[in-house]
Amino acid sequence: MKLNWFTRKGLIYWPASIIGWVILVLAAAYAVYTFIDIDSRSHSGSDTMINFVFNLLIIGLVYTTVAYFTEARQQIHRHDDE
Amino acid sequence: MKDKDEFLKQMESLQVPQVDPAKHQQMVKMAIMNAGRSATLGVWLIVVPCYFLLCVCMYYYFHVHTTWFGALFQLIISLDKTPGFDFMAPVVLFVLPIIAIVINSLAITHFQFNGANKVKEFNITIKIKFLNILLILISLLIIGVFISFSMVQNISISN
Repeated sequence: MKLNWFTRKGLIYWPASIIGWVILVLAAAYAVYTFIDIDSRSHSGSDTMINFVFNLLIIGLVYTTVAYFTEARQQIHRHDDE
Repeated sequence: MKDKDEFLKQMESLQVPQVDPAKHQQMVKMAIMNAGRSATLGVWLIVVPCYFLLCVCMYYYFHVHTTWFGALFQLIISLDKTPGFDFMAPVVLFVLPIIAIVINSLAITHFQFNGANKVKEFNITIKIKFLNILLILISLLIIGVFISFSMVQNISISN
């Protein structure tokens, strides 16, 4: 089954369909939620940022993994790609 | 007329280079994974442990009386105390770099088995893709840090 939800430009995956955009918005919303949640429990600005960046990177990793498996594949691949 | 016949004979006897499409397909299949895609995922797999090690370095820098492994130990202990994150240290410092090594190695390594000749050959070719090789090296470094930390921790506990 071909899922063409994302397209890759350099090192970043961009949405290529409505489902892709929904996933991106969900990831961004969850990132905002984690920021608010961490900020409400943290004791300082640096405490917030250190924990939030860790969560943000994990969200980015999960997003990229989903995009990796649902990327729009090109029909013709050169043997010596990129 | 004679020259024309000779020319035609020469043309007919010319050996046309043969291209075996099956063999060509086989060569294409040897590229197991796409280098660009592997590099993209590899970067994200490496960023998380790199950030963790950066935090360790900051902890070490701002706490004068601690050692580098002490700083790593403190941060892993703090992760273990966080509910839901107690399994994160081995995943972040070991599993993610291993996955990055596997996908990037498959992207730059090509295997070819040539069994048609008298001497059977198994060729391993490594493409020079700097980003993929860099990701593999960084992953190996992170795994080395984690293994050395585990060894130091075991030795210090046993003593």
